[in-house]
Amino acid sequence: MNGPRILVVDDEPQILRFLRPALEASGYAVLHAGGGHEALRLIANAAPDLVVLDLGLPDMDGKEVIAAARQFTAAPIVVLSARDREAEKIAALDLGADDYVEKPFTIGELLARLRAALRHAKAGVAPKTKIEIDGLTIDMERRLVARDGAAIKLTPREYDLLCALAGNAGRVMTHSQLLTAVWGPAHKSDTQYLRVFVGQLRNKIERDASAPSIIRTESGIGYRFSDGA
Amino acid sequence: MATDRHSERRPDPDALLALAERGKRGRLLVFLGAAPGVGKTYAMLQRARLLREEGVDVVIGLVETHARSDTEALTRDLETLPRRQVPWQGHVIEEFDIDAALRRKPKLIIVDELAHTNALESRHPKRWQDVEELLDARIDVWTALNIQHLESLADVVSRITGVTVRETVPDIVLRDADDIVLVDIPSEELIQRLKDGKVYLAETAKLAQQKFFTLRNLTALREIALRRAAARVDDQMVEQLRQNAIEGPWETAERLLVCVGPDGLSHDVVRAASRLATGLNASWVAVTVDTPGGSEAPGERAKIADDALRLAQSLGAEVSRLAGHDLPAEILLYAQRENITQIVVGRSKAGLLRRLAGRSLSEALVRRAALIGVHVVTGDKPSQTPPRRWDLRALLGRETRIGAAAAVASVAAAVGAGELLNVWLRLPNLSMIFLIAVLFCSARYGARAAILAGVLSFLAYDFFFIEPLYQFTVNEPHEFFALVIFLAVAILVSWLAGRARDQETLARASARATQSLFELSRKLSGAVALDDILQAATVYAQKTLSARCVVMLTPEDGELALSSAWPPIDALDAGEEGAARWAFEKSEAAGWKTGTLPNVRFQFRPLVTSRGVVGVCGFQPQDPAGPLSPTMEHALNLILEQAAIAIDRAILVKASVRTVALEENEKLRTTLLASLSHDLRTPLATITGAVTTLRKFGEAMPAEQRADILVSIEEESGRLTRFIANLLDMSRIEAGALRPKTDLVDVAELVRASVDRAAKAFPAQNFATSVARDLPFVKGDAKLLEQVLFNLLDNAQKYGGGGRVAIHARRDGALVLISVTDEGPGVKPADLERIFEKFFRGGRMDGRRAGTGLGLSISRGLVEAMGGRIWAESPAARRRGTRLVISVPAAEASEATKAVS
Repeated sequence: MNGPRILVVDDEPQILRFLRPALEASGYAVLHAGGGHEALRLIANAAPDLVVLDLGLPDMDGKEVIAAARQFTAAPIVVLSARDREAEKIAALDLGADDYVEKPFTIGELLARLRAALRHAKAGVAPKTKIEIDGLTIDMERRLVARDGAAIKLTPREYDLLCALAGNAGRVMTHSQLLTAVWGPAHKSDTQYLRVFVGQLRNKIERDASAPSIIRTESGIGYRFSDGA
Repeated sequence: MATDRHSERRPDPDALLALAERGKRGRLLVFLGAAPGVGKTYAMLQRARLLREEGVDVVIGLVETHARSDTEALTRDLETLPRRQVPWQGHVIEEFDIDAALRRKPKLIIVDELAHTNALESRHPKRWQDVEELLDARIDVWTALNIQHLESLADVVSRITGVTVRETVPDIVLRDADDIVLVDIPSEELIQRLKDGKVYLAETAKLAQQKFFTLRNLTALREIALRRAAARVDDQMVEQLRQNAIEGPWETAERLLVCVGPDGLSHDVVRAASRLATGLNASWVAVTVDTPGGSEAPGERAKIADDALRLAQSLGAEVSRLAGHDLPAEILLYAQRENITQIVVGRSKAGLLRRLAGRSLSEALVRRAALIGVHVVTGDKPSQTPPRRWDLRALLGRETRIGAAAAVASVAAAVGAGELLNVWLRLPNLSMIFLIAVLFCSARYGARAAILAGVLSFLAYDFFFIEPLYQFTVNEPHEFFALVIFLAVAILVSWLAGRARDQETLARASARATQSLFELSRKLSGAVALDDILQAATVYAQKTLSARCVVMLTPEDGELALSSAWPPIDALDAGEEGAARWAFEKSEAAGWKTGTLPNVRFQFRPLVTSRGVVGVCGFQPQDPAGPLSPTMEHALNLILEQAAIAIDRAILVKASVRTVALEENEKLRTTLLASLSHDLRTPLATITGAVTTLRKFGEAMPAEQRADILVSIEEESGRLTRFIANLLDMSRIEAGALRPKTDLVDVAELVRASVDRAAKAFPAQNFATSVARDLPFVKGDAKLLEQVLFNLLDNAQKYGGGGRVAIHARRDGALVLISVTDEGPGVKPADLERIFEKFFRGGRMDGRRAGTGLGLSISRGLVEAMGGRIWAESPAARRRGTRLVISVPAAEASEATKAVS
């Protein structure tokens, strides 16, 4: 098979029993690691295009795997984690994971996330200068934002925030990642800033700010800019 | 510069602090009079009535009306507290009832005659101490005082009037009073009132007899009272200026030092210094110098110095003890360090010789002090310095006798040696041999023996070896000269050697003290448990102070309770407990030789740690009349300090243990949640994922792949079911809702059924069964026993590392033992019991081994509910493996036959 190669890191054999046929049926090549050390070796040697990582591993913490892997690979990492482990998810994302899927998940959900992550990884090579989604256009070269041709006036902070989100379209951005990008590292934990500015931004760019479709909330974790998929 | 000046004009923080402190206490108003009969009580009551009319809560604690009608009339409208009846030597005396006053807790209380001495069994020996307690309880107090009762004036007054003042009030009481009211009438008028019989009271009658009420006396007293009042008003003004940040020349740079020694003049010197300090508005410090190594016992002389220091303290002085041989040098060194500007010293009655040599303390101070004023106080009576003890008893002491004997013997030996040498050698000068004798005595028996030996040598040398022989006369002048030089050398040598010996003794004593302290701190630091610390501290204190020692602590916010005592006692009496509580609550010494409950046998000291007072330490001296010597005081303070540190540490350790336990508990809860979440979610994740995969890709999949995914769904559903069943079992066991049946169970059948079930659940696992033949039935619930056995098998396949799992069943007396053995890595000995705890799991915390941590715990619950036992053994064989054994009671053969028939 010549499709993208996906490394599944999970020590539960039952998960692999359905994941492998499903991924293969979707055109991916599947590698498997049962522990963190094996995973790191495979990431280094086999250079998979994407890593699906269960955070609970028998030999080391999944977060350590992310931190170590980010030293030498930019391949997207999608984390599998339980819903009640919010802090763990945020830590994983801040360490460099690209996305997460909550257990239990449907195969469709997982595949959608994998596609988005792969697409984003490919796009990341040449950053876009113009983004268009759902009638909203952002011209990064000219610093112009318009909805259906009508220009929208944004404050510099709102514009920075929009760029930080749109530049990572399809990916979840944690609160602290956004705060660091827009306000600087000193304001890493001032989540209330973010709430206010996201609210203002939605009022200006969304068709219906009460049911946002462009900037979606990942509750407790951060925000995700829709990539139109 | 203007800004600087401005910033300096702030209220003095010390003054404000004093003001704030004052707000926490009641206010004290003293009605000061020059003599009895001037109308203090009358004035006090009159003002009290005015306040009463304004609605202030005024109560009379105690007022002496001396049956005078106009004074009595004033008390009529005011609430009067009943007095305490104290039986004393067959009759009853009435005392102020402090407890009643504290219970009543008025805004203002009137307590007459501040200088009064309470009856023997009272809480405080003096009334002014009762007043202090009232003030501490935030009750305002009005009281009356005659100037003659002021401690610092006692000697002056008795000199003027010829009447000895026995009841005194420390100056600090008056100094700390919030205000004073001077009640004054002209002396002539007072005498006239006396003559008219308007003033008649027991005290005055007595005083009158002593010719107290003469115009001269009264005028002098009146002058003193007026001056005191004026000084007091001046102080108040300065205080106010400081509080309000008004600039003024109030700063006094004067600081006084008074030297206290063991002579009768000390008290007078202290009082003089106190008056001087009051006049100069200066702070002052009383100092005594201990000369170590002296052979005298700390008896009468030390007591005089102690008493003088205590007097100084009560007059408001700081107190300090110095140690050294050179008195003036020590005092001047201290003075320099403490910025002393004036020194007050009594003129000691040094012998004529010392005085001629300028060696009396006062003269030495005058000569050596630089930039310090020296006041010399002379007494009008001959100094009553008690004689040094050794003058009498020491001379007859055992040690002295031995020393004298040694001196005689060594000189005799020197004579013998000299005669022998003379026979052989005829040395021209034999004095060296005698010097050896002197040196020997000084090194071995001290200075006195050496001096005796020197004198004896001098005589013996002259007698035996100098022409004319066997006479105490000397022919040649140069021989005489040599003899005198010999004597001088002998005495000098013996003095030096004796001093060296004294110093050695001193060093040894201090080494012993250090050693002993080291021992204590080692014992204390070795003990971790509070009980051990207290035991060590009390035993040590008993040994060092030769006094019974107790420690009382407050266990868990409770009442102060006896925690340790040596020698052991069961309980303290009420008075002792009262003193202990006082020491604890006020953080000051109470009981024996203190101002509070001095008749109690114990003295209690607070144990002060970093977290405040944690308890009290009490000691009961063997001789209640004896003084508390400085060395004892020093040792006591060290013990208190060390014990407080150790107790503090023990309490901290206890607290940290509690915290660790809490953290453990918290960790357990987190583990439990993590494990539940993981165990429920993993099968659910598999099922959800597998089902959605089948729906999405099922049609395109090869048949065997599809079948495998379906099997995984089935397996995971089974896992989920078992998990939920376990949870339900556990909650049933915990709720006590489990009612096992007591059937007869066939063990072979039981084993077969559970192994079948396990084989189905874990197809990859290899189970080996061996059941003894002719096993009896056991009593129990077949369903539950099967569940137990299945749990054990489940556990064995989980932790067995894939090896063979063996099931054995055999009979052991009245029991049947069923064991499940795996070939896994085994269980640590420490964990053999813990594996039966809920949510205990081998391996990592977030539990990658799929299991609930409930299986064994449930098994134990079930087996014990059926009257059996379950335990673990590890290693099972060849240093590996774990064996889990169930023992259940075998059914009687008769029961079995009954069941069959």
